[in-house]
Amino acid sequence: MLVALPGCGRNEERWQRSAFAKPATSRTAVLAAEGYGQGLDEAVRRGVELFDLPLRGRRVVLKPNFVEFDPDGVINTHPAVVAAAIETFRSLDADVVVAEGPGHRRDNEYLLTATGIGDVLRDTGTPFVDLNNDAVRRVSLRSSYTGMKALYLPETVMSADLFVSLPKMKTHHWAGVTLSMKNLFGIVPGSIYGWPKNLLHWAGIRESILDINAALPMRRFNIVDGIVGMEGNGPIQGEPVPSGVLVFGEDPVAVDATAARLMDIDPHKVSYLEEAGRFLGNLETERIVAIGEDPDRHRRDYRVLPRFTGIKANSRATAG
Amino acid sequence: MQLPAPVMNPARSRLPGLQNADGGWGVLPEGPSATEPTALAAMALRDAEDPVAARSGARGLDWLEERQRSDGAWPASDQVPMGSWMTSLAVLALADSRRDRARAVKGAGWLLDQEGRPVSLVTRLFFFIFPRYNVIDLDLELKGWPWYENTFGWVEPTACALIALKKLRGQLPEPSARSRIEEGERLILDRVCEGGGWNYGNSRVYDEELWPYPDTTALALLALQDRPDLPTVRSSLDVLDRLVARNQSLLATSLAILCARVYGRPVEAYSRRIVERLETAPPWIDVRALALAALALREDPAPLALDHA
Repeated sequence: MLVALPGCGRNEERWQRSAFAKPATSRTAVLAAEGYGQGLDEAVRRGVELFDLPLRGRRVVLKPNFVEFDPDGVINTHPAVVAAAIETFRSLDADVVVAEGPGHRRDNEYLLTATGIGDVLRDTGTPFVDLNNDAVRRVSLRSSYTGMKALYLPETVMSADLFVSLPKMKTHHWAGVTLSMKNLFGIVPGSIYGWPKNLLHWAGIRESILDINAALPMRRFNIVDGIVGMEGNGPIQGEPVPSGVLVFGEDPVAVDATAARLMDIDPHKVSYLEEAGRFLGNLETERIVAIGEDPDRHRRDYRVLPRFTGIKANSRATAG
Repeated sequence: MQLPAPVMNPARSRLPGLQNADGGWGVLPEGPSATEPTALAAMALRDAEDPVAARSGARGLDWLEERQRSDGAWPASDQVPMGSWMTSLAVLALADSRRDRARAVKGAGWLLDQEGRPVSLVTRLFFFIFPRYNVIDLDLELKGWPWYENTFGWVEPTACALIALKKLRGQLPEPSARSRIEEGERLILDRVCEGGGWNYGNSRVYDEELWPYPDTTALALLALQDRPDLPTVRSSLDVLDRLVARNQSLLATSLAILCARVYGRPVEAYSRRIVERLETAPPWIDVRALALAALALREDPAPLALDHA
């Protein structure tokens, strides 16, 4: 948070080449969802079923983003999206767990109650794991952007057959945007590394996003809640932007690139996305196959803070 | 302060059933034992009249004693061996027990050597020359205590360390104890939110005020309990009352009780709320919150009270 200096040696490979096989192309689906009421369950199910995910009997960990609560804000993944995801994956015979390690607050009872996600868990009988306090295992990092050799990461995440990132579509006052990849800050246990996930801010936000995402070896899926997104001073104090859209896909880089473009932000100008596109997934439009609706129909002009005007699609600036 | 008769301590009776076979407690039921919940549970069970509870508390203290590192620190858990911010809580648990205080004093000695990593001189110079790039409103030179070694100091680990050091003040070397305590207090006071109260440690970002949390506010106030006349303390006590009216979680309410006890404020309404909350507790209530509730409902002065040392 205090100083997120850009990494040096940008052209140097900082990942284990043998550990990553970037697909030739990645599929993403953008689907309209006008609100959080009727039709949402169907939209989420349709989005998931567009992908050939092995789910029967598999352990699926849903990781929404609920970092903080403001009754007047749109900080968190909407509980209706979490409920729709639970319903969808269960209906496809998966064993579903919801897990999150809030980045600002230690009081999960409060956050779960205030955000409404607790009601969803209770109504659906879904177990919840506090990733800030879960059992951990030491995970050797497969990339070296932060300079850390290993991180302690939650067993619930590391033992998942499918890890589903369920972020809110938001601008971010340190990183530019926060989507599927940045959402993974929530898997880093606060009981060890502190709040607001302090170690990661020291190690560099860009660098930490890359190292954490590169550390997860399991199959991934991503559903971005862009029904109402956040612009301006995100991820906490920005303003809501009704966008009426959900973004689906297995490749978190491609999903986040697609979501960024929906926000009228050039993913090549978001430093961590540009770097992730070198080894973690696909960033270029020609390598992303849109299998849902026409993304251009859903594009909105998300306002960014002045220091991030360079990441807007129409800016002449390069990666920030 | 004696609790009125109708307010019992149902949280305490639940703790033995959640204890792991190794004698510790995990934050999550059936999770691996960790220092934070074990220290809180041991404090909550101290002097329990019920033999099951008393034996459970003693086993918790054993767990803590067995895990103290040779440098005096405690790890977060068996899985994560390095010294942890949770050392402050283990120190408090052992200082509050009837056992030899040498371990607590050694742990406090480790705390004296720990400090947050301030923002570098180069960065501070950069912010001095280009103030528009400094979008946070903190004294970047203050160290306090970090959550994790070699990182910035924040409110909660600093507050926990201050309580532990103040509790053992008479057994710690001077002037280092005084110096660290005074600097830690300065950090807490620097991080106060507009109007009072604390969050994790940022009062303002990009000219926008951030709001205080009840749990962090209560901890900061516990750390400043020997400074009751400070205007920040007085305003923050009122803020805490308002925050806990809106946030009725077990964690927030329990810490508010512990805070109210040391400042001599009424606790009965909060205590009844805890009992009611426990009756309808959702499954994600964790052992840490339960232990804090049990600690808050103890009928003797709170172990976090400095005058109880």
